[in-house]
Amino acid sequence: MIKGLIVDGAYFLNTSKNYQAIKRFFYNLLENDNYRYKKYFDMLMIVLILISVIILIREVKSHVNDSLLYFNNYVISFIFFIEYLLRLWISSSVSQTIIKQSEHDAMLGQNFTLLTAFAKVTREKVAYITSVRAIIDLLAIIPFFHQLRLLRIFILFRVFKLFRYARSFQTFTSVLATKKFEFFTLFIFASIVIFVSSVLIYVMEANNPDSPIDTLYEAVYWSIVTISTVGYGDITPATDAGRLVAMIVIVSGVAVLAFTTSLVVSAFTEKLDEIKETKSIDDLRKLKEFYIICGYENIAQEVAKKLSKNNNIIILDDDNENIKKAQADGYKALNYDPGSVDSYKKLRIDMDKQVKAILCLRKNDVENVYTALTVRSFNKEIFILSLLMKEMNRKKLSFAGVDEILFSKELVGLIAKEFVGKPVAFEVIHALRSDFTNVDIEEIMITDRIVSSYATVEELKNSKYRLILLGVYKNSMQRFLFNPIDSTLLEQGDYLLLIGNSVFLKEYDIQLNKKIKR
Amino acid sequence: MKKSALIFGYNDYSLHIAKNVLHKYEHIAVFKFASDEMRNDLDELSVEEFDLSDEWEELSREHDISSSVAFCVLEDNAQNIFLTISLRAAFEDLTIIALSNNKENANKLTMAGANKVIPLVQTTASIIAEMMDKPITTKVLHNILYEKSELKVAQIEIKKNDCFEGKFPSEVEWSKKHGIIVISIMHEDGSNEFIYSSKSKHHAIENGDVFVVVGYETDIKEFEKLIGATQCQLEL
Repeated sequence: MIKGLIVDGAYFLNTSKNYQAIKRFFYNLLENDNYRYKKYFDMLMIVLILISVIILIREVKSHVNDSLLYFNNYVISFIFFIEYLLRLWISSSVSQTIIKQSEHDAMLGQNFTLLTAFAKVTREKVAYITSVRAIIDLLAIIPFFHQLRLLRIFILFRVFKLFRYARSFQTFTSVLATKKFEFFTLFIFASIVIFVSSVLIYVMEANNPDSPIDTLYEAVYWSIVTISTVGYGDITPATDAGRLVAMIVIVSGVAVLAFTTSLVVSAFTEKLDEIKETKSIDDLRKLKEFYIICGYENIAQEVAKKLSKNNNIIILDDDNENIKKAQADGYKALNYDPGSVDSYKKLRIDMDKQVKAILCLRKNDVENVYTALTVRSFNKEIFILSLLMKEMNRKKLSFAGVDEILFSKELVGLIAKEFVGKPVAFEVIHALRSDFTNVDIEEIMITDRIVSSYATVEELKNSKYRLILLGVYKNSMQRFLFNPIDSTLLEQGDYLLLIGNSVFLKEYDIQLNKKIKR
Repeated sequence: MKKSALIFGYNDYSLHIAKNVLHKYEHIAVFKFASDEMRNDLDELSVEEFDLSDEWEELSREHDISSSVAFCVLEDNAQNIFLTISLRAAFEDLTIIALSNNKENANKLTMAGANKVIPLVQTTASIIAEMMDKPITTKVLHNILYEKSELKVAQIEIKKNDCFEGKFPSEVEWSKKHGIIVISIMHEDGSNEFIYSSKSKHHAIENGDVFVVVGYETDIKEFEKLIGATQCQLEL
């Protein structure tokens, strides 16, 4: 009966949308670095920790206001306590463990026993409680019991909590963790030297009345001070034998120090690329909108140059040489294969919100088809443009879901036709497109703000700004209305196509968006 | 003597150029090196063999050089430049259009005497960047340029200045009355001046002025008819 109720309850919790949403929220807030509000939570905790430490320091020699003490002892500790409980809650899912166990037993035809399920749950929770981070969290709450003055020192454990909230600390520890074995070897070596030298110096000096070393504790203290190359000089050996030990310890100390330094440096050098890449990925997530350019060959290089003037761009290529070149050219370039779903997962790009379009600009149809198909496999909406190198592959690119195909050989044909047929028109339109003349063609989107001030084409008064209105692109009809009549109604989402001096064009755009009283 | 399009190079570019200029020229000749392998898709065209050391005298016997156009689309940059310079040395008044893979070669081809250089990489990249930045503009301009819509660009010469009675271009209501939009004025040397530029604003319309206009084909023809008539029928 109870068993059934518990299993039912577990299923209920596991399928309850509200419960899961709340749990996910706290998980994101406490553990998910990609969650946008996590940094605010982390900052709040860091401030609380600093307040605690400042109060501790102030309390040593002066009286601290009672309300501040109350805040420190109860409010901060209580917040930490709640945080501890939340972390314990999200560390594992009790309901899931119970469900798994019951399904496992049912499958094997065994009787489901609550004891086994609870034992598993307890094991999971205990594993979390005994982790270093959880212990630090727990010790940081202890100052709550402020009656025990000695326990106040545990406030310092709150400082250790900082490791949780500052990512650079985490990077630092993760880098050093890669050299675990080397550090362990160093530790063993230093420990042996300290142990042997402490015992030796104790044996040599303890019975000498002139020597300041009387106890084994003093001997160990002297060894550590000497091997670390600090050498306070408060305790110095008095006998020749003691000095001989000192010389050995000093030489070993230099070796230990050099070894430690080189370990830290080499750990960072080895991890440097990885750290840089992590930083680039983090930066990527902060970007609001960007284009992804796949490949960095000649056309891609030119496109990057042109697009980067007004837009953010990201270059993806599996060829490291290309990536190095792109980085040297000053672009955000990542050595990831654009034809692999895994790359986009690792980069944690939000395709719908962040990516304006994907440009497959590699000089190989096979790679472009592959990239387009990869992107289409997880996103149906994103705009994909691709180069086409051989006419015979056009259908394959369309089939892979490419929205716009650009075939440069066909382009040459069209340009040739235009040039021999209408050289003037060609030159005029070329001049409008190039950056070298000050006459430009610009599209201005009709916003609700513009519509509220200018309802029809007649009200636009573009000729005042010496601008030609070539036409209006009606979004609702998906049609371009050339030379529209004065009574044409403007709607939100339409585009005006204007030709004129680029300075006037900008000014006109600002003017349109200014609210005028009708 | 034929008005011909002479295409030097035996590749995909030659095929697309031939397809697109077919209607403009009486004769299309594709020139290939002896070493180039024969292609099926270029079978229908007249294919001749050539060598970079040729003297080209034969060309002037068969084709009307001054009204012909040469396309230099060899895949090897150095050979393309050499071909351009030899054609220019042989024929002063031949129109040469050359293809270049990068900016550096484009400059060299211009120096070698090409009338027009198509910088392939830059042009493709510009179109891609424009498609992204100004998708609607690109679409409209492409439709106008590559005749995919009814809209056309045309040049119209003013022959009857009494129609305009010394008016300034910006004063004439072209678009409302005649359905066309004047973009620029072409000068005698072939350069263009934007219609609203200060220079063209202070220039009264005269005989011989050439306007570059955008409009529907029927409107453009109608307008041409009106200003070409003996008596001015334009409503200004």
